[in-house]
Formats: sequence, structure tokens, C-alpha cells
Amino acid sequence: MPAAVWASGVAGPVGRGALLVGVVAAAFGAIAAITAARESARGEVTRTARLVPRFVALSFLAALGAIVAMEWAMITRDFSLQYVQDHGSRSTPPLYNFTAVWSALEGSILLWILALALSAGLVAWRYRRRLDDQLITWAIAVICIVMVFFFILSFGPANPFAEGAPGVTDGPGPNPLLQNHILVLFHPPILYLGYVGFTVPFAFAIAALITGRVGEGWLLETRRWTLFAWGFLTVGIILGGWWSYEVLGWSGVWAWDPVENASLLPWLTGTAYIHSVLVQERRGMLRVWNLSLLLATFSLTILGTFLTRSGVLNSVHAFSESDIGTYLLVFFGIIVLVSLVLIGWRGDSLRSPGAIDSPVSREGAFLANNVLFSIFAFIVLLGTVFPLIIEALQDRQISVAEPFFDRLSIPIGIAMLALMCIAPVLPWRKASTELLRDRLFWPAWCGIGALVAGLVSGADGLAPLLAFALGGFSGGAALRQVALATRRQGWRGLVGRANGGMIVHVGVILIAVALSASNAYTRSQELRLSVGTPATFAGHTFELVGFREDKDDRSTAVKALVAVDGGQAYAPAITKFLNMGMNVGTPSVKTTWRYDIYLTLEPPVKMDSGEARIKVFVKPLIMWLWIGGGLMAIGTVLAAFPGRRRRRPTDPTSADVPTNVERVVT
Amino acid sequence: MNGVSRLSRRLVPIVGVVLVAFFVVLAVSKPRGEADVSSPLIGNPAPVVQSTLIDGGDFDLSRRKGSWVVLNFFNSTCVPCRNEHPELVKFAEEQTAVADGAELFTIVNDDSDEAVNAFFAEKGGSWGKVRDPDGTIAVAFGVAKVPETWVIDPSGFVRMRVAGEVTASLLSSRIGAMRDMLNGVGS
Amino acid sequence: MKKLKGRFVWSMMAVLAAVLLAFGATRSSGPTTQEERIDAISKRLACPTCNGESIYVSRASAAESIRNEIARQVASGQRADDEIVAYIESRFPGSLLLPPGEGVDSLIWVLPVVALVCGFGGLVVVFRKWKREGDVEADSDDAGIVAAALRNYDDPTEGL
Repeated sequence: MPAAVWASGVAGPVGRGALLVGVVAAAFGAIAAITAARESARGEVTRTARLVPRFVALSFLAALGAIVAMEWAMITRDFSLQYVQDHGSRSTPPLYNFTAVWSALEGSILLWILALALSAGLVAWRYRRRLDDQLITWAIAVICIVMVFFFILSFGPANPFAEGAPGVTDGPGPNPLLQNHILVLFHPPILYLGYVGFTVPFAFAIAALITGRVGEGWLLETRRWTLFAWGFLTVGIILGGWWSYEVLGWSGVWAWDPVENASLLPWLTGTAYIHSVLVQERRGMLRVWNLSLLLATFSLTILGTFLTRSGVLNSVHAFSESDIGTYLLVFFGIIVLVSLVLIGWRGDSLRSPGAIDSPVSREGAFLANNVLFSIFAFIVLLGTVFPLIIEALQDRQISVAEPFFDRLSIPIGIAMLALMCIAPVLPWRKASTELLRDRLFWPAWCGIGALVAGLVSGADGLAPLLAFALGGFSGGAALRQVALATRRQGWRGLVGRANGGMIVHVGVILIAVALSASNAYTRSQELRLSVGTPATFAGHTFELVGFREDKDDRSTAVKALVAVDGGQAYAPAITKFLNMGMNVGTPSVKTTWRYDIYLTLEPPVKMDSGEARIKVFVKPLIMWLWIGGGLMAIGTVLAAFPGRRRRRPTDPTSADVPTNVERVVT
Repeated sequence: MNGVSRLSRRLVPIVGVVLVAFFVVLAVSKPRGEADVSSPLIGNPAPVVQSTLIDGGDFDLSRRKGSWVVLNFFNSTCVPCRNEHPELVKFAEEQTAVADGAELFTIVNDDSDEAVNAFFAEKGGSWGKVRDPDGTIAVAFGVAKVPETWVIDPSGFVRMRVAGEVTASLLSSRIGAMRDMLNGVGS
Repeated sequence: MKKLKGRFVWSMMAVLAAVLLAFGATRSSGPTTQEERIDAISKRLACPTCNGESIYVSRASAAESIRNEIARQVASGQRADDEIVAYIESRFPGSLLLPPGEGVDSLIWVLPVVALVCGFGGLVVVFRKWKREGDVEADSDDAGIVAAALRNYDDPTEGL
């Protein structure tokens, strides 16, 4: 194979070289940006500023080069590299060979760097005409410094281009679970865009603290960057749940695994920020709090990376151990320290006078939202690191998982739903009970309707019923806003942050309702099926039609063909991956808009016996999780478009206002 | 200075202390290693083990009282199990040479009869192989990961647990020591 | 229209919701299958070999064995759920996924409550302060003016 011979050994030096260029370019970018910022602070005309975009572009090219080199090594099966020896194989199909690049720690950091360099490039490009503004140059400097850290990480302790032992001609390929579903192509990159995207608002927050300028002008920009990062993180998390559902075979979407928690933490603080920043835009208040939320969000992404990549916590997602943990922990410490020092130094001067008049107002609702989200984030963090605390105090290993998180997240989720009922219709400053009675009337009936619908379809238990009732109520409240806005403005009533936000709310509500229904009312049974003898469970019939065996040179899949309700045959499978000696079960799912029927094949499988153990889960409303996720994504995009400038028609001040409520002009 | 600011002033030292403590916890945490090998069973009567042997016949641990019993949890595809097998063969030979030698049994974990027979035919070893079709015995002993080796004394009490690969010398010497101790106590 | 959305209709609605919730929360959920009992138990236990996954989630062979053991004990019908969990925990120490509320472990239950109290307590305090201070901060001159005005004013709320 001449191509392979020629290719062999090229990727390593090219990749290493690219990483080195990246370290240097990002470092120079940071130095140039800081110099430019100091020049413009002294009021000089800065020439250095022009260099900044060039260094940023160079580091982006370096990041791209590194990942292309890795892909090249993987695609050409360059087994001179340790990483390819560990995670590549000759028999991996092209798609999963492509995604194998981010199937382990070292490669996933390359992806992280690429996302980071992309954000840096976008920031530099977006503000290319405002490089004489020290806020911009400081922000770029911060991004560059973060980039330097990750380039060093990849160049040093997490080197993907390390030489492997000579003479290796094949490898095991990626973990079988990572070559089972197309979502491995989308979930990690999208999630990383979300994680990494929070670097930009973080950088602006630090820049604002350094320059002491938190005029609300930068906020608008930061809010939009945050919104995109948040949107990617949301979609990434939901795709992760979908992947878990389609691949792992336990019929769930969320297991409170440390890695999942690590992605939820910045999502929670980011969500809090997206809400409370509106108070700042509108009233100029909560500046320090908002900055702190941004700083916390970024710190939590680094903390989450540390927790899950250093091996201190058990996780199914955990990669192999390496001393990357020390680097990440030190970086986390620096970020927190710098943030606290800056807030301590500048905090008071940023503080705005003013007061929130009444808790029953939009500001008040946003504050309550922030308290709820912060407490939720605290609980998730506490549960995630609690085993470490116990280990440090008593040298004893314990596990904290689903039962703990379920018990606490249910009441918090219900409180959030309750807040989502009232908050959308609240005006700024102050609301009267007459106003609330008027605006919430029909949404409340929606809640009663949802409750009745739940009861009619057989639901029981307080928590899920409350979730249905509040889901109907809050859905009604959100749709009321959308209806009012579209009646006034047509399609424009769907864009802008308030309107898009309501669409996101509808998505969240669908997910909340679907999760509570599927958690509370899943029916499951293990059926021992014999060919030709149908069995019945939960009103459905299951008949084993036969078996099928699919073989290729890397795996053998045994599928049991099960006809559901006399119709189409579904094929839950167990796949034996030959070179890993690992059995991976693959579920098969019949999806309808009301319920999913989720089938797994249980080992051991004896095809000649004509019998199979099939585990059946009947799970209500699962499809609405994905629809809700889609709505959240669409809503985020709509919210990112600027709405009408002056008076947003959905602002409750435009509806009939009781005379005791002040009219506020933006 | 407004009230909110005064409030947060008071919070600053608390937040600082909490963060420092948190950082220390993270810094001292070590990567998770092997699970603890102590077991509440040690010093207590062994769980009930009733099953069948691959070569035919029944196996009942309680009827082995009077002699030392070594149970080796095993799977023919597990690498450390394959590695330790020559040591077990050596141990079995040593024990046949001793009067009142320990009896060795393999507890087959998640593996087929054919695979186990093929393995023993190739690698040697003629001791009893106990079926554990749905993992009852493994769960009763708290074995999560093979190989594991357990030693049960002649009165049916659990005396020792070795998680991971075992050596003939370790088993022989520990059993010898324990036997001497019991005899010493008895005389 | 005003009447329709008045206090009376709202309180009827609240009563209706409460009645419906009470009815739904107390009605029997119907028989659960053995499998569902097994699932409920296996969600409470950690798989010993699989990095913090529960027995319910994990497909590892150790988890499979423990699930079989749970199934056997459920089928024999002699033990309650808690007893089965305790049995597995005795064999695989540290496999309990729900920390008990004893000793240091109870912190995991106490701290969220503390956070909740601090969070909403802080909110109340902040709103009180805002209410007292209003939009503009009063300095000593302002206070003097107010005090002077108050001296000439008969407070109707005095003595309340």
C-alpha cells in the first residue's frame, strides 16, 4: 500500500507542529491584544491591534491543522501513533473511524481546541472594526490565554500525536458503544461548541471587570454569544440523552452520571444568566450578579472537565487516567481566583443604585428564577462531588446517584414550572392581583385541562399530576404571549428574545411533562418468548418471529425479530465485538406520539432454542422529549434575532394595564 | 454603600473559605483505584452454595466441611484469569502432596460449559468446575469482577479473599499458616 | 368579563384543582409487575464494576448477576425491598446509591435545605432592604428633612 507507506508518520510531526504553532500564535495573540488594550487605555492610536486578528487566524489554522492531521492519521490507519493504535482499527467503518478521533481524551481536546479557536476567530472577525476598543482587545486576550492553556494541554499531558510502539498494524477500534449510532457524529461537537462557547461571555465579563466598563452596550453582544453557547449546550445535552436512549439499552435518557452533571451545571448557571441579564438591560441592576454568573458558568465547564477527565470520579464516560487533572485543577483555581479578585476590586464601582419595587414583578420573577437555578446547580454540584468530600474526610467510598438527584430535582422542577406559569405575564416593576387574575385566567384553565387529561388517561401520584397541571398552566401562559405577539405583528411576533424565549419555554415544558410521565408510568416486563407463541404485556402483543445473524469482520450481531401488535417486526440485538471481546446490546424502539415500546434482547441468546428473553418497556410520551428539544433549539435561534427595537409588543405593558401600574418606557 | 453591598461584604469571607475548602478536597482526591477487598463475610459462615459440576454431579459447599476449600471465580475469556491459571495448577498439585490438603473448585462466572472445558483441556487442571448460571454464587460472595479467590476453613467459615491474580505460594503459605493456627488453638 | 375572571371563579378553580389532585394522588396505581419491583430495587444500587452506574442502568455481567439475585429474591417473595437492598449492600459494600442520613453523610441532605433557606431568605432580605431604601439612597440630609417633616405630622399608623 504505497499511500499508507507515504502517509505513515506524516500525521505525527504535522500535528505536533500545528500544536506548537497554535501555542505560539495564541500566546502572541494574547500579548498583542493586551498591548493594544493598554495603548488604547492610554489614548494612543494602537497599531498593535491590527496584529491581533492575524494571530487569532493563525491559531485557528493551527487548531484546524491539528485535527485534520489526526483525522488523516485515523483515516489512513497510521498505526505509528499511539492514539491510532489505541482507538483505531482497520475494520472500523468509515463513519465511526472518522468519529474515533474524539472517542478518547486526547482527541476530544483537539475538538475542544478547534471549537475554541473558532469562537476566537468569530469574535475577532465580528469586532474587527472595533479593535481600538480596549474592552474588545481585553476579551480577545482572555480567549487567547484560555486557548494557550488548551494548546499546552494538548501539546503536553494529553498529546494525541505521541509515537506508539513500532510494528503495530491494527488496533481495537473505538469503544463499541461509540460505533453504534450516528449521533456520535453530532453529540460531542455540538456539546463542545456549547461548552467552549461560554468562553466568549466569560472573556467579556473579565474584560468588563478589567476596564471597569459595564455599560449595557457590551451586554447585548454578550447576551447573544451566551445564547448561542447555551443553545448548543442544550442541543448537545438533549442529543446525549437521545444517544443514551437509543444505544445503552436501559431505556432512559439521563442517569445523573458525573459527566452528564458536568454538562448540566454550566447549563443551569447559563440559563440563570440569560434570564437575569434582562433585568440588567431593562433596569441596569444586578450587574455584579450577572458577571458572577458568567464567571461561574465558565469555571463550571472547566471544573466539570476536571472532574470527569481526571479519573477522580467514577463515570461511564471517564477516559483513561492521565496527569491532565493537575493542569485542569490549577487552571480552575486560577480562573476562580482571578474572578474573585476582579470582582472584589471592581465590584463596588460596578454596583448600580436602584431597587426592585415588588417581588410580584418581572424582575422579581427573574430573581426567583435565579435563586431556583442557583440552588439546583448547587445541589447537582454537591451530589457530584459529595463522594470526594466523604473520601477526603473519612477515606470511605460512597456513591451518590439517581435516587438522590431524583428526590431533590422533582420539587425543584415543579417549583420552576410554577414560576413559568406566572413569570411570562408579569409586567416590569409591579403587578396587581387584578392584573394577574385577568392574564392568568385562561392559562390556568389550560392547567386544569392538562390535569383532567392526565387523570382520564390513568395517571396517578401527586408529583406527576402536579407536573401535568403546571405544565398545562405554564404552556398556556407561554402560548398566550406568543398568540398576543403574533396577532399584533404576524410572523415578527415569533422573533426577538421575549417571543423566542416563549417558544423555548414551550419546549422546556414539553420535556418536563414527557420526563415526568415517562419516569412515573414506564411499565416493564421481561418476556420469555418462543417462536410462534405470542405474549401480551400492558395491552400489547409480542411475538418472536425468528432470529437473524449479521456478521462482518469486526462483529457478529444476533437479532431477535419481535412482531409488536401483529405488525412490523422490531429487532433488538446483541452484538459481539470480536477484537474487544465485548457484548453490546442494541435496543429497538417502536415510536408513536403517545408511547414508545422499547425492546431489548437479554443474554444469553441461544438461537437454535427458538426462545429469547426480551425485556419490554412501555414508556409514555418519549417522542415529546425530542420535539421539546427541537422547539428549544428553534426558540433559541428566534430569540437571537433582534426583535422590534422600541416597544416589544409582548411586553405586558402593552396590554391593558391597571392604572396603578407604572408604564415604563425603554 | 447600600444594603445589598453590605450583605455581600459579609458573604465574601464565607464564600472564600468554602471555595478554598472545596479546592483542597479536589486537590487531595485521588483517581479511583481497585475496590476494597475486605468483606463482611470474612470470619463468618460462608454463604450457601448449591449447584452442579460441569463434569457431572452436584456441588454443595456445606458438605465440604472438614477440609479447607478454595473457590476460584473464573471466566475463560478474562485475561488475569488466564494468567493466574498455571499458579492454580501448581497450587492444586502442592495440595495433593499435603495431608489434609485444600480442595480447589472453580466457580464459572458468565461462561459456557464448552468454553470452560476447552480451556481446561488446553491449560490443564482437573479440579471441580462449579456452574453459576445466573451469578448466584458470585453475588452471595460479593464478587463483581473475576478472578477472585476465596478460602473457607474446615468449619465452613470464610477466612480469606484475594481479588485479582493469585499465586500458588501466597495461597499455600496463607492456608498453611491458618491451618497451623487452628491446630495450635485446638491442641 | 371582569366577573368571569373574578375572585369567585378563581377560588372555584383552585378548589377544583385541589380536588382533582387529591383524587389522582390517592387513587390506587394498580398492580405492579415483579419486573417493576426489580427495576425499583435495582435503581437503588450501584453496579460494583461499572463506574457509578446503577444496577438498573448497567449491562455489565456483575450487574446482570445482581439483577438475577434480586429477581430471585423478589420471586421468592420472602423479603421486602429494603431487605433485598440491605442484603446486596452487605455483599457489595458501598453499593447504596442513596446516602443514609447519618453522620457526615447527612450533610448531603442538610446542605440543600440550607441553600434553599439562604437563597429565599436572602431574597426576602434583599426585597425588604429595597423596599426600605427605595430607588434613591437617602443620605443624612434626606433623613433630616424626613425627620423634620415627621415632627409636624400625625402618623395615622402610630400605635399599630
